[in-house]
Amino acid sequence: MTGFREGSLRRWLGGAAVSAALLASTSASAEWFNSDKVFLTGGVVTTDGSGGGGITPWATISGYGTRDGINGGLHYTWVYLPDYTLNSYGVTVGFFDRLELSYTNSVLPTGGTFDTVGLAVSALGGAGTGIEPWNTTIKMDVFGAKLRLFGDAVYNSHSLIPQVAIGGFYKKNRNAALLETLQAADDTDWEAYVSATKIFFPVSTLINVTARYTSANQIGLTGFGGPDGNDKEVRLEGSIAYLLNKQFAIGGEYQQHGDNLDNKSVKLGALDLTGLTGLLGGLGNSLTQLEESDWYDLFFAYAPSKNFSMTFAYAMLGNITLTPDQSGFYLSLHATF
Amino acid sequence: MTQTSKSSKAKRGLSLLAGLGLALAASQPALAQTGKTYAFPGIPDNSVEKFGGPQGVHNWVESLFYYIMLDNRINWIFSEFGNVERQIMLNTQLEQMVLGGNVEYQGASMAAAHADLGITMGQFNAVVEAAYSACERVHTPYHTCNQLIAALAPFTFDIVTR
Repeated sequence: MTGFREGSLRRWLGGAAVSAALLASTSASAEWFNSDKVFLTGGVVTTDGSGGGGITPWATISGYGTRDGINGGLHYTWVYLPDYTLNSYGVTVGFFDRLELSYTNSVLPTGGTFDTVGLAVSALGGAGTGIEPWNTTIKMDVFGAKLRLFGDAVYNSHSLIPQVAIGGFYKKNRNAALLETLQAADDTDWEAYVSATKIFFPVSTLINVTARYTSANQIGLTGFGGPDGNDKEVRLEGSIAYLLNKQFAIGGEYQQHGDNLDNKSVKLGALDLTGLTGLLGGLGNSLTQLEESDWYDLFFAYAPSKNFSMTFAYAMLGNITLTPDQSGFYLSLHATF
Repeated sequence: MTQTSKSSKAKRGLSLLAGLGLALAASQPALAQTGKTYAFPGIPDNSVEKFGGPQGVHNWVESLFYYIMLDNRINWIFSEFGNVERQIMLNTQLEQMVLGGNVEYQGASMAAAHADLGITMGQFNAVVEAAYSACERVHTPYHTCNQLIAALAPFTFDIVTR
């Protein structure tokens, strides 16, 4: 029953956000709609759904709206890793270059080691771990808000003052059983961040620095906190982009991650196997979570028109829960109105 | 112990003041500019040369006005409030000056020239788009073009009044 209600609330909120975006884009009221920012200066969209780079939120307000109007966009991001595939889609709306609201739904089917663990758990008669042998999927809703405080990332080239924004995410992971198995403390939590962004025109380079107050494991896809509790900490992120021309940018990003689940076993039912995994041989190794790696990516963004941008990246996400060396292809499409 | 905490407090106070000073400086209306624009990191000294010298800058300004006058969002402002030939002449001086060229700009300050026009950020951005199109038209590389964008960017706060 609760699940049903949550489902309809989620659908309703998603629907409302889409309606808002459509209203902002198709309404004949030209006074509200605005798409007058300069090429690419609205940035692209992160895996969390906020305007920014690929993984790090920037202080820019998403879309092409200036301070005189509203603009929004739809995005779809696909990350193809050896053992996981992340699909995320959502909507972002920028109000008067001041406030940004976003909603993103992330779907992460797993494979490889999770299949092995799922099979083993089934064979051992385990239940309720959230790991099915072949089709374990993690779903997460991310609601975001960002407020630009001061500064102009684009035109303030005569001073070092960047554009600064604060923002937050409310993340609800919908595979609570799996998160319990992984020993995460919570399936739902919030994050807050402050971002500073600036374009240095004489060197055609954009730099962004973000500090995020969070306890997320793998941006929340594997929950928040660990067996020792759910304590938030400040983690650093950064993006650097070199503007090749007005439509192309290349660059890289870094995102610091935490260590809540490092070397923790998975928990089958009430049984924590941390002390026992050594006895279980090969399976034991599969059941101990690796040290969570910081994330890196190298990207290439192309905006053929103001209404559409594509970001291609090589994402280096390292160890993810039970599986090492998760590096792969990242594609993000962003349509703006 | 107390001394350390005191000195760190004093330091924090100072950096707060410095921050405020910077913020105030940024919000001051710019005086009529008389030389190369300060930007970070600096605009290279050979920028006018890279633009093709005074004639190259003039060609760029001609192209800029070509694109402005074709842009229905903004062309009416330019035809209504100024003599385009004169604006091309003055802009050729201004662009050389802000890039570090040894040229005297004979026009009014950007703030004075635009004070009553009620220019919006969108209209200003349209001129920036025309500026990039003009660079492409005269085959000035994007990276060189950005020196001029850096040199003109601070005028945003004088020109956009709405």
